[in-house]
Amino acid sequence: MKDPWQQAKARYQAEECPPELEFAVASALRAGERKRKQRRLIRRSLSAVFSTCACFMLLVNVSPNFARAVSQVPVLADLARVVTVAEYKVEDRDHLIDVRLPALELKGATDLEQRINTEISTRIDQVLQEAEDRARETKQAYVETGGNPDDFMPIAITVDYEIKCQNHQYLSFVLTKTETLASAYTEYYTYNIDLQAGKEITLRDLFGSDYKSIINTAVSEEIARRSQESDMIYFAPEQGGFQTIADDQRFYLDRDGTPVIVFEKYEIAPGYMGEQEFPVPLPGGTQ
Amino acid sequence: MEYSIRQQLSQYIVEHQEEFYRLAYSYVKNRDAALDVVQESIVKALSRSDTIRQPDYLKTWFYRILLNESMNHYRQGRRLVPLDTLPDTPAPAGDHAGRLDLYAAIDRLSPQEQAIIRLRFFEDMKLEEVAQVTGTNLNTVKSRLYKSLRKLRELTGEEVST
Repeated sequence: MKDPWQQAKARYQAEECPPELEFAVASALRAGERKRKQRRLIRRSLSAVFSTCACFMLLVNVSPNFARAVSQVPVLADLARVVTVAEYKVEDRDHLIDVRLPALELKGATDLEQRINTEISTRIDQVLQEAEDRARETKQAYVETGGNPDDFMPIAITVDYEIKCQNHQYLSFVLTKTETLASAYTEYYTYNIDLQAGKEITLRDLFGSDYKSIINTAVSEEIARRSQESDMIYFAPEQGGFQTIADDQRFYLDRDGTPVIVFEKYEIAPGYMGEQEFPVPLPGGTQ
Repeated sequence: MEYSIRQQLSQYIVEHQEEFYRLAYSYVKNRDAALDVVQESIVKALSRSDTIRQPDYLKTWFYRILLNESMNHYRQGRRLVPLDTLPDTPAPAGDHAGRLDLYAAIDRLSPQEQAIIRLRFFEDMKLEEVAQVTGTNLNTVKSRLYKSLRKLRELTGEEVST
């Protein structure tokens, strides 16, 4: 009797390659080479400091948000910018992950730049790891309770960012992570940078030491107004609704530089209201 | 130097295209899908060819991409089976006692186990190379290999000696 391994191998190798294979390989080689050149081009001009023009054009292509933010600034802010450093997708049976990872480029404030970039990337790594664990647990629970593993809906995660404000004074952007399982839930991470001082801005910097009471009053009044004028419903303070902003309250600066306080879904209002935003004008007008 | 690595990669791909096709086919069991997998892997490899520094790793590096693509297609294919793939997959040939022959039995293994078996026995890779391709360490490859061989023995009812 012939060795079964030899038989199996012979059968494996007997699989005839279609005549199109050669052509398919040649055209794939060409397509791959084209793609490689594009990638190089993007990478090169991102690192080239002098080719501001090319850089601008490419960034416009790379990030629509960037284009929108920049088009609102009369002079292209050259002190800082946010670039997409990594863009990737994972699509398999249990996950549909879509990530656009930003990184900051700050001139003259390398420490701050590095700190924020490290924070962003560790945060995303952690978020994805947690999502992965959760997907595994959910799937396990699903299967153990009699679900068919083939029907399991993959967990969908999108990581993206949006530039809210960019001028000579400030850079403000929001990193979002949206996880969709049965319903969608988005987490926000906000970054606000004072480019002149080279540091992150706090609400205290903007509103002074009395910042909490100023903002709390403004938010409470706005909640009352919205509840009156529209059919929006907020949780009452004693039901776990808005009482005071947190010490590390999330906020961003809109394009006029007005601070906008952000609350996540469920935080101060029922889920169907989504996330809630409250612009709070600065006492002395915008800067 | 960089230029020559890329040339080596293209040359390597052209010379071994039939092996790539067979490995892809062994997963997706469909001619067009296998061609797709090979093409996508080549495009991916070429577009990232700037990241390889060591020509020694060309082979395992490319196989790793190919294997990932194959498994992705394989998983998708299990969810969505177009009708025209059916003629390509005859029912596993059972011999005398209704036992599977070795070739058909391999298809019953998990995708990772299939990879180890095919790379080791059909592509004649060293275990170190298999470890590089599958992105695991040598001990993991060894233990998975033994586990797979045990499973194959159960499936075929034969002494699958190597």
